[in-house]
Amino acid sequence: MQIAAMWDLFVTGILRGGLYALMAVGLALLLGVMNISSFMHGELYMIGAYMGWFAFVTLGLNPILAILFAAVGSFIVGMVIERGFFYPLRRRSKEGWLLNAYLVTVGLSFVLQNAALAIFRPIYRGIRTYWTGSIRISPAMSISADRVMGFLVAVVTIVAFWLFMRGTKIGRAIRAVAQDERGAMLVGIELDRIHTLSFGLSSMLAGIAGASLLSINPAYPSMGLLPLAKSWLVVILAGLGNIRGAIIGGFIVGIAEAASYYFLGAGWQDVTSVTMLIIILLFKPSGLFGTEVKGILER
Amino acid sequence: MQKTHSMSVIGLGSRFSAWLRYVGLSMPIMIMFVILAMVPLFTKNEYVFRLLLMSLFFGAQAMAFDFTTGFINVVNFGFAGFRGLGAYTSALLVINLGLSTWLGFATGAVAAGILGFLTGLLTLRLRGIYAACMAWFVQLALMGLATVNVNLTRGALGLTVPAALDTTSTAPYLYILLLMSMGIYIVLSIMINSNLGLAFRAIGQNLLAARTSGINPTRYKLINWTVACTFAGLLGGFYAHFIGILTPDIMHFKHTVEILALAYIGGRGTLWGGLVTAFLVIPVFEYLKPLMEIRLIIYGMLLVLAMIFYPRGFAGILQKIGEMIKR
Repeated sequence: MQIAAMWDLFVTGILRGGLYALMAVGLALLLGVMNISSFMHGELYMIGAYMGWFAFVTLGLNPILAILFAAVGSFIVGMVIERGFFYPLRRRSKEGWLLNAYLVTVGLSFVLQNAALAIFRPIYRGIRTYWTGSIRISPAMSISADRVMGFLVAVVTIVAFWLFMRGTKIGRAIRAVAQDERGAMLVGIELDRIHTLSFGLSSMLAGIAGASLLSINPAYPSMGLLPLAKSWLVVILAGLGNIRGAIIGGFIVGIAEAASYYFLGAGWQDVTSVTMLIIILLFKPSGLFGTEVKGILER
Repeated sequence: MQKTHSMSVIGLGSRFSAWLRYVGLSMPIMIMFVILAMVPLFTKNEYVFRLLLMSLFFGAQAMAFDFTTGFINVVNFGFAGFRGLGAYTSALLVINLGLSTWLGFATGAVAAGILGFLTGLLTLRLRGIYAACMAWFVQLALMGLATVNVNLTRGALGLTVPAALDTTSTAPYLYILLLMSMGIYIVLSIMINSNLGLAFRAIGQNLLAARTSGINPTRYKLINWTVACTFAGLLGGFYAHFIGILTPDIMHFKHTVEILALAYIGGRGTLWGGLVTAFLVIPVFEYLKPLMEIRLIIYGMLLVLAMIFYPRGFAGILQKIGEMIKR
């Protein structure tokens, strides 16, 4: 294997990894704060992509504004979904809340996907590029500006999210809820508001991922399945609910996928994923970076 | 005189239902199976047969699905994958090794059971979400493999599978599936009514309490999971030889969601809830076919609303009506 090919593989992996990290962080946030195993994350990604398309093509906004539009839009969508479905669910069911919440996400994913199919029809809505031109990183290789910008958007978003969680009062409140709900309630944190906010944030991260990659993955009703599977792989690999782990895990999975594509060809990525899962579950089921957030064993 | 006569009839009835319970059947289910078996006597309409067969096929799957979700509280998120594995194993062995279709069904079931056992072994000691995710990924990988290995499975072009019976009518298939579903129902409900079922319920309701009373949860979960996967494979094998053409789409994730929704709308932990609901939902859906996506939206919303507002599902409603009548 040549150095150039190796370098190519690495760069592709890192660029992909940015997306997976972005998706997985949102998933980990939901798992950590609300303990919801979300299977509608892919559909939130899809909603983000459609919003980005709408803002960029229909409204003719500039790319950064289009992505911001999608971010705000999917943030609102997420909060509405939480208020409309998970809030009443939380009030009504005590015992089987975990399983029921998970099934509600499955149902909603089904609904959203088919709603998109009914409204937008099975037509690919993509764009050629957000930013034209390419960036030369070595004599043998250049990357389109779009991919680099997509990656930068992911990095900036993750850093901003990280600072938000560390530095602001609300971010600290979210982390407090993730650590101990009862304790958080005792010091006067309003659980319901934190839950709604976390769901909105998680949805926003997925929406940004969807919008910023519009030129590579055109908006389509069933586009969410692949990112969903990958982000679940990342989350299990890193440890359920571990946000820092999800960021690193995203890049690991990105590189692993690029390598699988290079060595085995198309169609084998899912087999690679399963192999990775088997290895991690055999040797370190708590994930690479461990987690004690909500535990891995049934309680 | 009259009185003693009717008494003895009632006595006979209750003795019969006691016997039914002994072999794992209940009166309403028995009546349902008998009605189904008599349908071909009254109509020769192929369309009706097909509709009934599809309803029964989905109902039987929902039953096997509910055996896991409703009792040990773990979701088999790769159900369609196990079903598809059974279908492809059976079809490929019959085509390439010249096995009889009946042996094909059995090998399909065994293959799905073995894979189910291995997935369960790896994940069932952990939280339920791990088993669900693992099964889901196995399903994606199986679908990927079936799509990629074109020289074996012909990929998306579709594999032509020899029919199980030398007939163009659907009615004989309906009888096979009827026997199969009855067998599955009997096996599952015998397990549920035995000590095994007690252990399953204990694990599903309160894991800690189950563990304290000396139940090894992983072992029981593994038994349950493997049995459900085996039946998924069996039904898949039947489907392959009935429908005659297999594409990797049989393992698509959306089919798992369809079965999942059916089992949960039907009512968890009842076995028969999903079976009965299938006979309502599938024909209605067939009728609503022109609505396209709208009906799938309704289907998904039904699941969501059932989860939020009435987790006992359709079976819960029926049970409530039954109680009212008794009173």
